[in-house]
Amino acid sequence: MDQIKGIAYQIAGDFGLAWGKFFAQVIIFILVYTVLKKYAFGPIMAMLEQRRQRIADGEAKLEKITRDAAEAAKNSQAILDKAEADAARLVKEADDAAKLIQERRQQEAVSSANTIIAKAREAAQLEQEQLMSQLKREFGRMVSDATSRVTGKVLNTEDQSRINQETSAQVSA
Amino acid sequence: MLLNFLQPTSFSPLLANVHSYASEFLKESSNLAFLTNSLLVAGVVVGLILWFAIKATKNMTLIPHKAQNFFELVVEFLYGQVESIVGAKIAPRVFPLLATIFIYILVSNWFGLLPGVGTIGWGEGTGFMSVKEVHDPLLRAPTADLNMTFGLSVSMFLVWLYITIKEVGVWGFIVHTFGAKGGLKGIMGAMVALVFLFVGVIEVFSIIFRPVTLSFRLFGNVLAGENVLHTMSGMGGFIGSVLAPFPFYFMELLVGLLQAIVFTLLSAVYIQLSTSHDDHGHEDAHH
Repeated sequence: MDQIKGIAYQIAGDFGLAWGKFFAQVIIFILVYTVLKKYAFGPIMAMLEQRRQRIADGEAKLEKITRDAAEAAKNSQAILDKAEADAARLVKEADDAAKLIQERRQQEAVSSANTIIAKAREAAQLEQEQLMSQLKREFGRMVSDATSRVTGKVLNTEDQSRINQETSAQVSA
Repeated sequence: MLLNFLQPTSFSPLLANVHSYASEFLKESSNLAFLTNSLLVAGVVVGLILWFAIKATKNMTLIPHKAQNFFELVVEFLYGQVESIVGAKIAPRVFPLLATIFIYILVSNWFGLLPGVGTIGWGEGTGFMSVKEVHDPLLRAPTADLNMTFGLSVSMFLVWLYITIKEVGVWGFIVHTFGAKGGLKGIMGAMVALVFLFVGVIEVFSIIFRPVTLSFRLFGNVLAGENVLHTMSGMGGFIGSVLAPFPFYFMELLVGLLQAIVFTLLSAVYIQLSTSHDDHGHEDAHH
């Protein structure tokens, strides 16, 4: 034991080990440890944790935004599809309505045209008849007049009526 | 018999005249004998670390400024390493200590490589402001002082003991150290228990010597590095003294980093081994 003690003392002497120097070094180390722990590692670890939390929050938000965007795209696609279907339906309805109106207008136009034509025919017929009647009358008067001048005879009502009838019959023929 | 191998020997360096101990400033005063050149540099190193830490943590923002960014990088890297070794449960408790040890050792090691450290001081004068050889340097790397490395390792040992007892309890620690593993019963179980009891005794010695191995490993590497640099600096005149140590500075930069990592990782491994609740082998990482 004494030999070990002697060796230990010699090692301590050779390397300058002494309680005073030893404790001075320990105190310096404790000082740096205390200060670093309280004022350096603590705040730095807190900052790292804060940043980690922020990144995690950002990732979560990003994921939510991506999810929302996909949902919105899906919704907008559905809305677009519905709008497209509605538009197609409206176009078809408008087309049908237009066709219906066109047909109705066409029928009305045809009907109107037929009416106009019929009225025109009636008017023409009437006018023709009036003209014919006037012509017959005029022609009868002229024939009577010519007959009286040729014959030198004053025609009575009966003669005139008979000449008018014959003239009308010949004009009509 | 065993002690015959441990005959008292001199530990004076063979290559260069770099003392194996730190020089005292006030040799006559026994009350202030603790004021050594390594303590002075330790104070400077602490000042540097604290200055940078304050600079890095002042006006911190989510988008970090340069100093904050660098400090965050270091802290995050170290925390990841510590967590991967000791586990997520213990990591928050031991991280500040291990990170402080790493940063303190690293800065101390690299501070010792600065020009002037170990080469400016007192010695036999040869002219105005010049000495033949520096016997008592003004500055000495703190890790080249066994008081500092031993202080660190003893502090680490006490923290390790506290965490271990708090985590597994006194009885749990005893069972963890001496208890038989494997769950064998009967005669085989008794024999295995005896073997594990013997292994436990060896383990206790191993644990007791941890502060010694940790401190001497760090101290020896840094002191050896100083010796190499001083020896190389004394070779081949002025040009040789500049060129010869040049490659060794890179090596010492690497050694300084490596020793800081080794000390920190071994400390983390010790904590992990004694606080883990499984039956993994002891001290694997130590060897």
